[in-house]
Formats: sequence, C-alpha cells, structure tokens
Amino acid sequence: MPGTVRVEYQEELDRLEASALGGLDLVSAALSRTLEAVEHQDVELAQVVVADDDRIDGRYLEVHQALITLLATQSPVATDLRLISALLHVLKNIERMGDQCVNVCKLIPLTGNQPPSDQEMVKLILTMGAQAKTLISQAKRSFEGRDVELARDLVRQDDAVDNLNRECFRLALEIGDDADRREWAMTMLLGARAIERIGDNAVDIGEQVAFVVTGLFREFEDASHPMG
Amino acid sequence: MGAAGATRAEPGPEAGKAEMKPSVTETQATSPEATPVAKGRAAKTLDAQEVNLFYGDFQAVEGVTMTVEPNKVTALIGSSGCGKTTFLRSLNRMHELNAGARVEGSISLDGQDIYGPRVDPVQVRRLVGMVFQQPNPFPTMSVYDNVAAGLNLNAGRVKKSEKDEVVERSLRGAHLWNEVKDRLGKPGSGLSGGQQQRLCIARAIAVEPEVLLMDEPCSALDPVATLAIEDLIGELKSKYTIAIVTHNMQQASRASDITAFFNLEETGKPGRLVEIGPTEKIFTSPEKQATEDYVSGRFG
Repeated sequence: MPGTVRVEYQEELDRLEASALGGLDLVSAALSRTLEAVEHQDVELAQVVVADDDRIDGRYLEVHQALITLLATQSPVATDLRLISALLHVLKNIERMGDQCVNVCKLIPLTGNQPPSDQEMVKLILTMGAQAKTLISQAKRSFEGRDVELARDLVRQDDAVDNLNRECFRLALEIGDDADRREWAMTMLLGARAIERIGDNAVDIGEQVAFVVTGLFREFEDASHPMG
Repeated sequence: MGAAGATRAEPGPEAGKAEMKPSVTETQATSPEATPVAKGRAAKTLDAQEVNLFYGDFQAVEGVTMTVEPNKVTALIGSSGCGKTTFLRSLNRMHELNAGARVEGSISLDGQDIYGPRVDPVQVRRLVGMVFQQPNPFPTMSVYDNVAAGLNLNAGRVKKSEKDEVVERSLRGAHLWNEVKDRLGKPGSGLSGGQQQRLCIARAIAVEPEVLLMDEPCSALDPVATLAIEDLIGELKSKYTIAIVTHNMQQASRASDITAFFNLEETGKPGRLVEIGPTEKIFTSPEKQATEDYVSGRFG
C-alpha cells in the first residue's frame, strides 16, 4: 500500500522540505530587522543582519547537499522528482532574498547620520518591506499547501510592491537640487529596488508550487514579454 | 467482446502450412544479403486491441489496447503477476504454447493480424524475436552455431560464405564480435553471462526479425553487462521495434522511449494496462495515481 514502503526516504524528503521552507522564516526575520534598521538608521543592527546571512547561506548549502544525496541514492521520480527540483530552485530564491536584505543593510551606513531627507520615502520603503514580508509568508503557505491559487495570487500581491517602488522613484525625481538630498534619495532607491526583488523571488517560488502540482513550468508573468 | 474477441485456440493443423501475406513474407529470403532488413528498412508497428489472455479458466490479462511503435523502445513495467510478461509473450504467439492458454482480441503487425487463421505461428516468431531473462545459448553448440541456429531452421540451405557474413554481422550488431571473433568454434556456454545474453541477442537478430521482445534481459547480469545491453538496445531500435519487460524502473527510464504500466487490482484479478506514455512523462508527471505510486516505489 502507498506510504508503507520507503518510510525513511519519505521522512527525509519531508524533513528537507520543511528545512528549505524554514529558510523563508529566516528571510522574513532578516527582513524585519532590515526594515527596523532602515527606520532607525541603526547601523549596528544592519551589521547583525549582514553577519546573520551566513545562517541563510548555511541552510542553502545544507539542504542543497542533502537533496543532491537523495537524487543520487534514491532515484526520485514523478512528484518526488518535481518536488526536489522545485526545492532546489526555491533554495536559490531564498538565498537571493537573504542577499537582498544584506544589500539594503549595507546601504544604511551610506545614508549618513542626519535625519532622513524625505520621511515619506522612508515610509514608502517600510510599507514595501511589510508587503514583501506578506509575500514571503504567502509563498511559504502556498508551497506547504500545494495551493496553486494562493501561489498565483502572489502576482497580485507583488504588483503592490512594484507600484510602491515606482512611487519611490517618483519621489526621488522630485527631491530637489541639493546634492546631499539627491545622494540620499539615490541610495534609498537602491534599497527599494532590493526589496522589490524580494517580491519577485517570492513570485518565483509560487511558480515552483505550480510546477510541483501540475508538472508544467510557466512563468506567471513574463517580464520580457509583459503583453504576452 | 465483438467478433474480434472470438477465442483464438491453438492453431489448427492447416495453420502450420500457411504463410503470412506477402507484405510480411517478402522479408523471408534465402539470402540475408537480399533482404531489405540490413539496408535501412522501416521497422513495423505492433498493435494490440482489447487483448484478453487466459491460462485455462484464469484470466491473466484484461482489455489491453496499446501500440508498440517502430524504432522505439517500449518498456512494460508493473509488479509481479500483473500480466506484463504474459502480454509480451502474446505478441509473438508464445503465450499459446502453455497448455490451455487462450488469446482474445487482436494483435497485428503493420495491420496484419498475427492470429489470423492462415498465419503460421512459427513464422510470427521469426518476425517477432524473443530474448529471455536467463541467457539461454544452446550449451553444446559453438558461438558460431548458436548465431547460425535460427538461420539454419528458418532459411533452409544457406551457403557457408553467406552464413559467415550473417554470423559476423549479427555478432557485430550485438556488440560481441570483437570479444568472440577468435573463439567462434568454442562453446557458447563458456562465455560470461553478459556475453551469453549478447549472444542470444545476436541469435535473435541473425534471422532479421521485425520486432525484438525482451523479457527481463538484464536481470541475471551485473551492472556493467546491464549497461552494455542497454546501450545495445538503444542502438538496435534504429532497425527494430523493441518491447522490453523489466522490473528495474531505472532501466525502464534509461532505456525506453515509451513506458506502459500494468497493474492488477488485487491478487487473482487480471492485470490491466493502467497508463502508457512517453517515458519522460511517466517518470515526471504520470496521469494516474497508481502509476505515481509504483514508479516512486510506494507500492510494495
């Protein structure tokens, strides 16, 4: 009967899925700290996030290696094979999300010790970050539940991040002629861009959910052919 | 079952004399060089329609409809007792060699019913060759005579020079020539297991069949010999239609283009074809849950 054989293999596969998706919790925590560091211009907290990224990278390496071992020793096929393939992708997405948090945190010392030049722009970035966190947790739930509809909804959620990013860009354009203010705005734009990429990575995870469930890989949205 | 399901009993006494239609018999020539087989001929399609197979009162296979396509390797997989070997043996009329065995439905080779009333089962078995699980060279015969055995039986008198050519070509085709060319006169039983199985494949292709059936051809072989046979199967498909029964799912995934999964609902019930499709699809996204459970090793 199904489920009565290959018990250890199944347990290992379940464990690796939980461990890989647990990486999203690490990213979510890193993003929370990142946003806090942005809000308070907290350079020390930003350094903690940078140092702590090793944990996310370590998770990537550990689960990646264990998945390769399963491929080599257990010859997974069908749904198991699709799951392992998807997890390898998702691990990479998680690792990239962690790197984007690091990118934002590395900008914080560059914004100087003066109060933010434009509070509205800071607020926008914090809102973007909160929305990105929503995407991260939704990506995790959709994967765990093999919920293609919830995964597909990530596109809609990500549109909100993209719109906020464009709004940041508009504010940066209108920030005036002062060189320091312009430099500050440019730096903050780089941070907004990094958070926007976190949203994209969450959408990519959603695409992997659809692959696990349907066996077909299709991009939910094709950035290079947006009208297609 | 309609008219096509009429019971096919053992061939009557007249059947042995009859031949298949010219489209099939034209490949049976006295000179191997004269046959179109060696010169890029098109392989043939085996088509099974609603096949039911019985051993006496016991129905082993029920309602199998599938096509074994030319120039492709079709793997038949499924757990023990699911009827895959029985089905394979019906494809060259070997099933009926069992006492009380019956065949219902139709099986055709390029449109020609191999169970037709005037068809000679011996001729069918020449066109549709079989390689067995246990390498079975004739133990007292030399390597040479093993390969030439089918030729002697099928083609009547053949010139020595022609026979030499067929033996060499068949041994080369089975990737065995270089290993045995200096010991053609030695007994076939002196070869290693993997060599013996390639000898049996050489014997099967010496009579230039249309189709090669293989029943677990590697299960008695070590991994290196297994991979050699799998490579050989991959090459042979350019000339032949190939169907292979295997318990080894990695072999099915490595060596076949099409995979057919057989299963039975419970012991005592007949085996059925659950799903057939491109091997890549069966092993990545099968349609049926039963297929998924079997290929992922979740069925005992």
